[in-house]
Amino acid sequence: MNMQQAIKMTAAETALVDAYTAQIGDLPGDGAVLSLRDTLVHELRTAGLPTRRIESWHYTDLRTLLRAVPAADASAFADRVEAVVPGSSVLAVRSGQADLKSLPRGVTARSYTESLLDGSAVVGLTVLGADDAIGRINGGLVRGGLEVTVAENVELEAPLEIQVVQSHGQAHTRFPVFFGAGSKATVIERHLSTSAEASFVSTVSDVTLAEGADVIWIILQQQGMADTHLGQIRFDLGKDAKLHLFVINAGGKLVRQEIHGKASGEGADLTLRGINLLGGESHTDVTFTLSHDVPHTTSSEIIRNVVFDRAKGVFQGKILVAKDAQKTDAKMSCNTLLLSDDADFSAKPELEIFADDVQCGHGATVIDIDHTQLFYMLARGIPENKARAMLVNAFVAEIVEELEDDEELVEALEGIISAWLEKHA
Amino acid sequence: MLEIKNLHARIAEDGTEIIRGLNLTVKAGEVAAIMGPNGSGKSTLSYILSGREDYEVTEGDILYNGESILELDASERAAKGIFLAFQYPVEIPGVATMQFLKVAMNEQRKYRGEDELTTPEFMRRVKEAAAELKIAPEMLRRPLNVGFSGGEKKRAEILQMALLEPNLCVLDETDSGLDIDALKVVADGVNALRSPDRAVIVITHYQRLLDYIVPDTVHVLYKGQVIKSGDKTLAHELEAKGYADLIEAAA
Amino acid sequence: MPAVQETIDQVRQIDVDQYKYGFETHIEMDKAPKGLSEDIIRFISAKKNEPEWMLEWRLDAYRRWLTMDEPSWARVRYPKIDFNEIHYYAAPKGTTGPRSLEEVDPELLKVYEKLGIPLKEQEILAGVQKSKIAVDAVFDSVSVVTTFKEELKKAGVIFMSISEAIREHPDLVRKYLGSVVPPTDNFYATLNSAVFTDGSFVYVPKGVRCPMELSTYFRINEKNTGQFERTLIIAEEGAYVSYLEGCTAPQRDENQLHAAVVELVALDEAEIKYSTVQNWYPGDKEGRGGIYNFVTKRGDCRGKNSKISWTQVETGSAITWKYPSCILRGDGSRGEFYSIAVSNGHQQVDSGTKMIHLGKNTSSRIISKGIAAGVSDNTYRGQVSAHRKAENARNFTQCDSLLIGDKCGAHTVPYIEAKNSTAQFEHEATTSKISEDQLFYCLQRGIPEEAAIALIVNGFVKEVIQELPMEFAVEAQKLIGISLEGSVG
Repeated sequence: MNMQQAIKMTAAETALVDAYTAQIGDLPGDGAVLSLRDTLVHELRTAGLPTRRIESWHYTDLRTLLRAVPAADASAFADRVEAVVPGSSVLAVRSGQADLKSLPRGVTARSYTESLLDGSAVVGLTVLGADDAIGRINGGLVRGGLEVTVAENVELEAPLEIQVVQSHGQAHTRFPVFFGAGSKATVIERHLSTSAEASFVSTVSDVTLAEGADVIWIILQQQGMADTHLGQIRFDLGKDAKLHLFVINAGGKLVRQEIHGKASGEGADLTLRGINLLGGESHTDVTFTLSHDVPHTTSSEIIRNVVFDRAKGVFQGKILVAKDAQKTDAKMSCNTLLLSDDADFSAKPELEIFADDVQCGHGATVIDIDHTQLFYMLARGIPENKARAMLVNAFVAEIVEELEDDEELVEALEGIISAWLEKHA
Repeated sequence: MLEIKNLHARIAEDGTEIIRGLNLTVKAGEVAAIMGPNGSGKSTLSYILSGREDYEVTEGDILYNGESILELDASERAAKGIFLAFQYPVEIPGVATMQFLKVAMNEQRKYRGEDELTTPEFMRRVKEAAAELKIAPEMLRRPLNVGFSGGEKKRAEILQMALLEPNLCVLDETDSGLDIDALKVVADGVNALRSPDRAVIVITHYQRLLDYIVPDTVHVLYKGQVIKSGDKTLAHELEAKGYADLIEAAA
Repeated sequence: MPAVQETIDQVRQIDVDQYKYGFETHIEMDKAPKGLSEDIIRFISAKKNEPEWMLEWRLDAYRRWLTMDEPSWARVRYPKIDFNEIHYYAAPKGTTGPRSLEEVDPELLKVYEKLGIPLKEQEILAGVQKSKIAVDAVFDSVSVVTTFKEELKKAGVIFMSISEAIREHPDLVRKYLGSVVPPTDNFYATLNSAVFTDGSFVYVPKGVRCPMELSTYFRINEKNTGQFERTLIIAEEGAYVSYLEGCTAPQRDENQLHAAVVELVALDEAEIKYSTVQNWYPGDKEGRGGIYNFVTKRGDCRGKNSKISWTQVETGSAITWKYPSCILRGDGSRGEFYSIAVSNGHQQVDSGTKMIHLGKNTSSRIISKGIAAGVSDNTYRGQVSAHRKAENARNFTQCDSLLIGDKCGAHTVPYIEAKNSTAQFEHEATTSKISEDQLFYCLQRGIPEEAAIALIVNGFVKEVIQELPMEFAVEAQKLIGISLEGSVG
């Protein structure tokens, strides 16, 4: 008797396994790809979705929270939308299908479906660990995406916007992106839905920065209020590579955004900035791990959360410093403004350190609006609701302004943030 | 313009009584100095006038232009023309000074039923006032009061006062932490605002500021009450003799 | 820390056999046979002449325990414990409980003398010790003596072993036992509920400020014996008590289990201060032997404006699994946790606290200092949560780790949970080594390296040491020095 088959599958687990069975002849890839997909779906069937007993899912019991998964619908179609920053090169993936149009000089791209078909995708399809539910679901069901390479020493003038647009049903996409040595680029990975109907989206970006690459990568999640979004970005930073990763969550009903990175070349530097705008009945979880594997690497993380209504938010951040990673300098902070008595936020900022010559720290605060600041604004004649809105906006806008080199980008992001706040505050 | 009648007030959180039967009248056009030893209730008075919720008025009334303002919140009082220059101006990261000024000016105009300022008009006014006070335009782009020196903060307060054109200005220890040059700039700014339909209350510990902003009346506050009033000579007297005699006489 | 390569070498060679309390005493013992069953529980209960309800309580816990799994979430590794290879009861022959000092076996008194524990009241009164401390001495499974009982009685304070209290004050024990740590709480607490052998009981009546420090001294002596102490402290309205706890054990190759439960109850306006200096045998330089210290300590601030403060200096044990917590139930109540955890050799520490804010205007403060040396692992794990109704809950957490050498690990795992918009939590954590600038500055002023490191470490832990009662503060400082010997002072 196989004990593992004893678990009773939930509706969502059944729907995911069924989606695989229903599409099995149709999903791109055979041989090694197919056999890996089989393994992943088998693991999903036997282990089920993660529960709070799995430490990395402590605050997001996916098995309980994910009530239903809409059926995959091959006829789902969505139009591309306007780029966040005017003048960007847009690479769209609509309802899972890559739509390659304009590519700037020095950038090559092909549909990820081709990599699945020719089997070259198999290396990257593996999961990160036994608790990698997103990698497992995505690996089992992925249909498309993009493989992008930015050539050595190429500097992109305008941002590259990877647009993942979904109307309903399911979408499972992957984005292996390679930045050549000395290249410089801004990428906006943008997820949005074009209808109020529920969709279920999983996506994995696999980003590699070669020596000296300097990249701004923005994840802009603007799914609809009925959508489930399971996102993951993996990155590997080479020698002297610099990644400024910006994650903005401004939508979705059930959202888990994982960020897993390695600083594997000396001089590598990560700047992570996160803004979580949470409202309604949503549940949003940002989980981050970074391992400093070699000496002389640096990282700094700031996460700002504003939580309205009955929303729940989670931030888990773990910085690992390996035994040989001397001279690591890592600072992480997570600040939350709780704006409703029905809202809640949990933070778990962890340090795991095995090297002694390091400077590591983290801070976490949960605060109310600063009453002295509020009074100051009232004393200048600004009505309370307006003063509060300004303070909330300032609380998150502060970290957007760090992107000051790119005014258009700052303006676009600030626009998105204030539009969201106006709608929810 | 301002009439404070038998005012009693306490700290809301722990009920400590700070103001104990204070009476004070300030007429339009008047510059009134309020002096007193530490802990006499000077700063508390400025907070109560401007409507800070940390204090509760338990008795008495504050009439402004003949109407009680106790029921108004801080922003309504400000829009009606009461301006408090803070002893410690508050830092607000993420809000540019310029943006803050624009919102404050327009919200007050809205409350009074006036049209909002056009952007060019707003810019013109700010530039003029800033130049008067020797404030560099660069400072206005920085977040409000963040990283400002003590002198810059106080000048920014006076700039706001000039732009918001209040009727009643309350300056809370504006001289604290200022060197003599900064003090002159601030005093010039205040003096430029003196007019027959505007009143100024200068709260200060020392006579020094009153050499530059010459008061019409001087009131001594002690244990939450005005224990003596007089003209500007009273301030000189205090400077020479200290508060001890007065306190004894009042006791 | 390249500047002090020598120090690292010394840490590598460190011999934890420097443990100064590792002697063993040969005393004829009365023991339960190895293993755990309902019969063994009946045996323990009978040995202690317990009332029927107590036996039933134990048996209920035991049946529950059989259905539970050992927790695995802590960052510690150890081979599976065979719970049937342990003696659950061991007492010096002829001792069924504490009695007067004159009746205690002189061999036993020698043990405490050797440990430096003052048991002779007359000596204390004669001024050998500066201030009076009442001591309850627990040897393996029984309390052998409790001092100053009479004097405390005059003040209305009850201080005795829990076994005595079950017989003499059954109503009080029944009312509070298990009310903070329910018998079903967790694997080790449930095991303790089934087999606990002795511990202390303190009751401070309304409005009484306990006239002296109370303390319990725990000693594990017998081989293959588990110690399952149970302590219960109740402070009635407006009462105050300061309680200290110390522990040691002989050096042995086998691991020994210590699974204690401590429950504190503070009613309106009451205050309990609980300090621990834990120095169980940590194991040898190869990581052989040492105590498994799996402890559940929890305080319930049940009354309004009550206060519970935990201070701990953890230098011993092979494995420490311990989270002294506060449930801030009463409005305006306050919880504090001050901790120093030193790990060296192969020690593993997973310790921290929980501050559960339930009432309005509750506040808590956490100061944790972890020092890791040798090949040890030192984890701070703490939870701060504000429930929906915990208006104006406030927490401040400062959690610092210091690493000495490059073979050890320091980890910080806080759980911060806010469900009330007026809650304000502040958490800060840092991990660093002794800075070369600090070290150089000391050296330049003529302080030798080891002394300089000791100085810096003492500065690092000062905030916590200050929270200890004076007598303990000095001992704790020495202990930290000894624990890090070879790497510091």
